Amino acid sequence: MASLKIKNLHKSYSSVEVLKGIDLEIEDGGFLVLVGPSGCGKSTLLNTIAGLEEITSGEIQIGGKSVEGLHPSKRDIAMVFQSYALYPNMTVAQNISFGMDIRGIDKAEQKKAIDNVSSILQIGELLDRKPSQLSGGQRQRVAMGRALVRDPQVFLFDEPLSNLDAKLRVDMRTEIKRLHARMGTTIVYVTHDQIEALTLATKIAVLKDGYLQQFGTPDEVYNDPKNVFVATFMGSPSMNLIEAVVAKKGENLVIQIASNDNNRFELPIKNIAALEDYVGKSVLFGIRPEALTDREGADRTSDQIAHQDCMIEVVEPAGSDTFAVINLGGKEAIARLRADAKITAGEQASLAFNMSKAVFFDPASTLRIR
Amino acid sequence: MNRLQQWLPRLVLAPSFFVILVFVYAFILYTGYLSFTDSRMLPSYGWVGFENYTKLFALRHWNTALVNLAIFGVLYIGICSVLGLFLAILLDQKIRGEGFIRPIYLYPMALSFIVTGTAWKWFLDPGIGIENTFHNLGWTSFHFDWIKDRNYAIYTVVIAAVWQSSGFVMAMFLAGLRGVDNEIIKAAQIDGASPARIYRKIIIPMMRPVFLSAFVVLAHLAIKAYDLVIALTGGGPGRATEVPATFMYSYTFTRNQMGVGASSAIIMMIMVFSIIIPYLYSELKSGDNR
Amino acid sequence: MTRSISQDNAVSSSRMTRALIYAVLLVFVFYYLLPLYVMVANSFKPLDEIRGGDLMALPKVWTLAPWASAWSSAQIGVEPTGLKPYFINSILIVVPAVFLSTVFGALNGYVLTKWRFKGDGIVFGMMLLSCFIPFQIVLIPAAKVLGFLGLAGTLKGLILIHFSAGIGFSTLFFRNYYAAFPTELIKAAQIDGASFFQIFRRILLPSSAPIIVVTVIWQFTNQWNDFLFGASFSGFGTTPMTVALNNLVNSSTGVKEYNVHFAGAILAALPTLLVYIVAGKYFVRGLMAGAVKG
Repeated sequence: MASLKIKNLHKSYSSVEVLKGIDLEIEDGGFLVLVGPSGCGKSTLLNTIAGLEEITSGEIQIGGKSVEGLHPSKRDIAMVFQSYALYPNMTVAQNISFGMDIRGIDKAEQKKAIDNVSSILQIGELLDRKPSQLSGGQRQRVAMGRALVRDPQVFLFDEPLSNLDAKLRVDMRTEIKRLHARMGTTIVYVTHDQIEALTLATKIAVLKDGYLQQFGTPDEVYNDPKNVFVATFMGSPSMNLIEAVVAKKGENLVIQIASNDNNRFELPIKNIAALEDYVGKSVLFGIRPEALTDREGADRTSDQIAHQDCMIEVVEPAGSDTFAVINLGGKEAIARLRADAKITAGEQASLAFNMSKAVFFDPASTLRIR
Repeated sequence: MNRLQQWLPRLVLAPSFFVILVFVYAFILYTGYLSFTDSRMLPSYGWVGFENYTKLFALRHWNTALVNLAIFGVLYIGICSVLGLFLAILLDQKIRGEGFIRPIYLYPMALSFIVTGTAWKWFLDPGIGIENTFHNLGWTSFHFDWIKDRNYAIYTVVIAAVWQSSGFVMAMFLAGLRGVDNEIIKAAQIDGASPARIYRKIIIPMMRPVFLSAFVVLAHLAIKAYDLVIALTGGGPGRATEVPATFMYSYTFTRNQMGVGASSAIIMMIMVFSIIIPYLYSELKSGDNR
Repeated sequence: MTRSISQDNAVSSSRMTRALIYAVLLVFVFYYLLPLYVMVANSFKPLDEIRGGDLMALPKVWTLAPWASAWSSAQIGVEPTGLKPYFINSILIVVPAVFLSTVFGALNGYVLTKWRFKGDGIVFGMMLLSCFIPFQIVLIPAAKVLGFLGLAGTLKGLILIHFSAGIGFSTLFFRNYYAAFPTELIKAAQIDGASFFQIFRRILLPSSAPIIVVTVIWQFTNQWNDFLFGASFSGFGTTPMTVALNNLVNSSTGVKEYNVHFAGAILAALPTLLVYIVAGKYFVRGLMAGAVKG
């Protein structure tokens, strides 16, 4: 059963349309991440699910029932906010029990619920403190505790980790994933961080300018992007996009790419039927840094590795890997080399292109050619 | 239920808005209307066009009032700003006892203009006040009777008003000075700028918003000034310290020239609004951009 | 041992200039205190000591008679009542008016920041502008309307007038304060099921102490010190303190009892001074944060 379903959702502020027909669905116990750059409409979408903002048209269903006109407190949801939104005048325990207090649940039952949640999140010793006396990570836990205690059908998270420092963010990310595995409750999670999206989600919805760009599993979104935006937004460093011309060589298709010395070189490509139409025309050739390696670092399971000498312009050791900047088709491209690859800046090196991972886009429409 | 929740915010706002709508905006319109009528002791509705305004600007008292307002306004705003800034800069020098000095500079703000007026009225009175004190000290040629002098009485209003408001302006500037980014000052010090130069070239130019706020607050107080004049000089000697606010009151309520009084109130409002509206507009605009 | 570099933004200066700075500051301390000193010192003198003597001198003979006279027996207008009944009038006017303008200002600020609706900008703009009107412009119609409502010369009428003059500022203060209050807290409370008034009472109000202090001091000072409305709209039994003080000082009959005038002036100033001494620090801080920045 789908625990959240969104049908053709539109949302406008006076004359500005911020959500332009969103269709989404997440199964019970799923983890849906809404990801996109700032201003893409992802937070607005979350707020409309929560009922904090009205929708202009379309439908939202939670647990199979339309929530149209329902007050946020009646939607069987709980929300964790970016700023945590802990009530500053209340203790941690009061923060967690405020909702129960409003609903008139008796003190003994409140106490039991608080104890239960605080043991799950290990915040038992914080219960009598005020939010101002807590660290960022502790506030985060309390905010989750306040959501957890409601035992809702859907949890909503609005960029919950963006105010934490880098180390804590990674720890909390793991914690959220563990919590999800343990509770099994559906989560809708907004972030602008594509790594968070990939690590946490069972389904990712990539948004931009109020449109849903792609909706799929992390694997689909990463390896099978529908358009240039999704391809470049997901993954870090982002996918190299190189202008190339499709040509026919015997039975097989190749692409021709300008290298930095004004010569062209050719790379063989998989036979994609749709690419036949582009023979003689230019396309955008997309290849992720990890598919562009030193010879020894090439993926041995790939059936289509092509080698090509490239001029190495800059070498950036990053500990576990070394990134090399090369020039392809007049643009900078990044290759991901093994950390101990013996390659230095200013020399020609033979690089391996894993063409089984290559993707192609139409330069005009920016849509994937497949 | 849901409907009620939706209308509740507007319902809560409604009483205040209604009071403002009637007691401010409707009243302004009504006064504006009266200024075009032949109202004398009581409102009357005979339309006379701009006659009251022509009459108003022909009146010697009104012109005295405008001249006095100009003198008072320029000196009051000017002295308060300069003195306020000066004292704020001095107090900003890591002064020991700042916590003791600041409230002393500020307390006059808490007083009623009537109290201030009463205190200064007798303090400046040549018979018992400061002139008398100097005479007792042996300086018998000392002469200070401005409050009784038609040509100088308006300056005594300035003296009392500056005493009352300059501490408040000082507090505004002090808060502004404290808000200046430390790193900018450190950068200037590293560049070798002298303290005086740092104030003149860097800090004071950054005080522009505070100057503007102080100007608006003071200008608005100056145009409204009524109580102080009444308590200090009663508008006298003769009508030498007449200002628009006292003019409006006496023409409307004691001289039974309501039409003229209303037109003078309208002129006062135009003066205030011509200062306030551009200020509010720019403030709200920059607020939106924030 | 090395001296650490100062973190303050004050620019350092030499010993001589520092001495000069302290001297100047001290001169101004005397300047601001002088009128208060004159009032206090002379309020304890017998009248002939003022007339024959020196306004600056401390009393040779200390007497409480001027205070007693100012409070309970001085001639105000036609009645020898002293300022006491007028003091009480002022309290009866100011306390409810301050209360009402603070409560409604808080609610207005809450609505205007957290429950925005179409046209709220115009409502706020009109309230804001109302802070700055010269009151002279409402005097004539206000007299007429108060008469029409049967409130002319009553305490209720004066409360209403003070409310109308003060609500703009209260709304401005609270709106600016609540604008900085995180909207996510309101959303969280909505999800927790709190109603409009529950959110106000349980989430916003407990955090509003600083701005309540500012608003109460502002309204109290302005309304207690008001003269124009008191002079225009009060009746025989409802005249406030400031108007009575002015009558006392400027009554043309009899000898000028300066010592009584000074005692009366201090009596009129006492409540606002007291409020200022107790909470003035918070007032300036709050005002700078809220009002001046617009």
